[in-house]
Amino acid sequence: MAPTTTTKTTEETSQTKAGPPKLSDMADSIDESTFEQILEMDDDDDRDFSQGIVFGFFEQAGSTFEKMEKALYEKKLSDLSSLGHFLKGSSATLGLSKVKEACEKIQHYGAGKDETGTVDEPDQSISLKNIEKTLTQVKEDYQEVEEFLRKFYGVEES
Amino acid sequence: MATPPPEEDLFLTKRHEEEDYEEANRKREKDYSPHTHECPRRRDDPMTRIYRLTPIPTILLDASLRVVEVSDSHLAFFHQCRDALLDKCIYDISSCVPSPDIVTFSGALRAAVTSRDIQTIDGIHLPDTNSYFSLRLIPILDGPELIYMVLETQNVTNEHAESRAYSNQTYINETYRTLLDTVKDYAIFMLDTRGNIATWNSGAAVLNGYSADDIIGQHFSIFYSDEDCLRQKPAKELEVCLRDGKVEDEGWRYRRDGSRFWANVLVTPIYQFGHHVGFAKVTRDLTERKASEARLIAAFEESSKLKSDFLANMSHEIRTPMNGMLLALTMLTSTELNQQQQEYASIIEDSTSILLQVINDVLDYSKLSSGAFSLHSDIVNVRTIIDAVVRNCNPLLKPGVELTSHLPDDFPQYLKGDPLRFRQVLQNLVGNAVKFTEQGNVRIHTSFSVDEEKRDAYKILTEVIDTGIGVPADSVNTLFTPFTRFADSCTKKYQGTGLGLSICKGLAELMDGTVGFRPNPDGCGSIFWVAARMDCTDEVDSARAAGLASEETFDPTEEIRKIAPQKHILLVEDNMVNQMVMRKLLQSVGFERVDVAWDGAQAVRMVQQRPLSYNVVLMDVSMPVLSGLDATSQIRELHIDVPIIALTGNALKGDAETYLAKGMNDYLAKPIHRQQLLRMLWKWIV
Repeated sequence: MAPTTTTKTTEETSQTKAGPPKLSDMADSIDESTFEQILEMDDDDDRDFSQGIVFGFFEQAGSTFEKMEKALYEKKLSDLSSLGHFLKGSSATLGLSKVKEACEKIQHYGAGKDETGTVDEPDQSISLKNIEKTLTQVKEDYQEVEEFLRKFYGVEES
Repeated sequence: MATPPPEEDLFLTKRHEEEDYEEANRKREKDYSPHTHECPRRRDDPMTRIYRLTPIPTILLDASLRVVEVSDSHLAFFHQCRDALLDKCIYDISSCVPSPDIVTFSGALRAAVTSRDIQTIDGIHLPDTNSYFSLRLIPILDGPELIYMVLETQNVTNEHAESRAYSNQTYINETYRTLLDTVKDYAIFMLDTRGNIATWNSGAAVLNGYSADDIIGQHFSIFYSDEDCLRQKPAKELEVCLRDGKVEDEGWRYRRDGSRFWANVLVTPIYQFGHHVGFAKVTRDLTERKASEARLIAAFEESSKLKSDFLANMSHEIRTPMNGMLLALTMLTSTELNQQQQEYASIIEDSTSILLQVINDVLDYSKLSSGAFSLHSDIVNVRTIIDAVVRNCNPLLKPGVELTSHLPDDFPQYLKGDPLRFRQVLQNLVGNAVKFTEQGNVRIHTSFSVDEEKRDAYKILTEVIDTGIGVPADSVNTLFTPFTRFADSCTKKYQGTGLGLSICKGLAELMDGTVGFRPNPDGCGSIFWVAARMDCTDEVDSARAAGLASEETFDPTEEIRKIAPQKHILLVEDNMVNQMVMRKLLQSVGFERVDVAWDGAQAVRMVQQRPLSYNVVLMDVSMPVLSGLDATSQIRELHIDVPIIALTGNALKGDAETYLAKGMNDYLAKPIHRQQLLRMLWKWIV
């Protein structure tokens, strides 16, 4: 079962590295209700399903970041946009809100817009620069949730 | 006997009679003087005058029964002259005496003589006069000696008729009484003027349970329920009866033991000599008939339901193998076929698509007629729907025909109604117009007005005006009747089931509206219109944009769980993670058949192969190869109207409108939340 959130404030202060990871600790990076929905799909006695999904996402994210870097190198903005959109979808599904927001930005930049997607950005080099910056950031954010989730599932190998 | 009156004193109107009389007198004096010496005859003798002039035909006989005197009235009656009768023995002139026959007459005469009492022969009918007479034989006695006999003839035709009528009446009354008493199934009885029971037949005793002694004299309201009595129904019935000459009623009546029966009652006023004397009342027990009527109706409803169920089942059953055929056909056409084979294949394809349409129509119709069709209240954007219909019908236009639509600028953007059903009606009307219009144009004209009954609702009127072949005047009345097609002569040219318009009618009525037709006033062509009532709404807020149904709190999980195993879903999602989550989500609420396509092109192929199989398509928007939007357009171009729900990460304003305009039915923003998804599925697949 997912950790409860009722004891959030007390646990936050007394949290130690040894304790089991709490979703609530990652409130900035992970949307609890969305992720819990995934957890609810698990059978009662194990977390095979959600774990499969999450680890599938790790692979997907890893390969997507690689593709993004390649596209960035090749200055293929539209590829970057659709890669951003692609990863945005799955990260949104898992409730990985920070990653999702960054991917959305990359999607917009790649489409020649500003980060909200409302204002045109005609200068490709600015878009590329923005993507480069965002990509670096999103990889860090991703790293954080990956570590957390691996701990969450008790599988630490990265 | 007094002497006859003198001849000269007689008052006679006719001269010859007087002469006859005088002549007869002379003869008499000459021939029979010895017999008449006792009463010397004098013309002015009062007795003679009386006997001659009495208006009652009279013959005076002496003791030897010879005619002594005869009245003028008798002579006139038998057309005889006096001389022919005077002094004759009565037996010799019996033909001049009214009697049924000589035997009766002589018998009566003998009786009068021997009994010395007055004898009467009644009921003598003289055929040549058509009248009835009675003959009185009056013996005149002087002490023991009979001296005269007076025969008086009296016309009794009137009395006779009366007495006959009387006996007739008795006979009829008796007959009727027997008849009434023999009737056991009907209560037949009389009421007096105030409604008190006056007579009672055995049928009444059986039906109402009262014996004649118990009930006669009681008011007839005793048979009515208290409620009827309170409403003064019995009194009113008599009132109406007097006014209209009769009254008929059906209703519950009560027996003595309190049990009730369904009665048919007929009350008629009875008049005698113009006076109202009472009422005749006939009561029939229709309980059994009513019960059998109810059974009949129930049986009819049952069979009608069976028919609908059968139609629905059959259609379902036919659709399944149809899918197989279509799939095989698609595969067949993608193999190397020569031109002739290609041609045959396309004939099969055409026929199959028509057959599918027929089945779908029958299914819709049977659902409508069984009342199984329900509306889903949602936000309706009429403009979008019209645009979608126009886009859908454009490829079907005959060359040179123009399809346009007009919507007032101030038309409310969002209304509350069932968008899918509204679209179905409109699609049908416009589709018809396009199908039957060879040249000219088809215009869709929509207007709105505030509903008069409900201030917060609008009446939406959409007219589809075409310049097509029009509708013959004699077919106008059957346009909206199921399975009728006016264009029988055109059947070969225009295909269809004849169900489309009746489905439209049913749907419009579900939407609190109507459909109708009138000829195009500009000459040839038709105007078909649909009027529907839709509520005002201003709730197109952010919650709506996020794909939330209006009933936020409604939890359809249980309902979905019930129907899920029968439903078939196509999930189009290129992202493995999302796909897995969605599949798991759908599985968790009971959907067992979830097909997955990885991109739009695959989705189009799958839908095309099994056009009737999917209950809903969940379609990601941005996908490689073919986007969700383009895939939707292609599916719509195939005239497949499966609900398509966009799954979108782009929850931006305006995007939603684009999706709907492309033919999607609804959209959900990612991340997909279980409740939102369930509400959405509930809305589109139930």
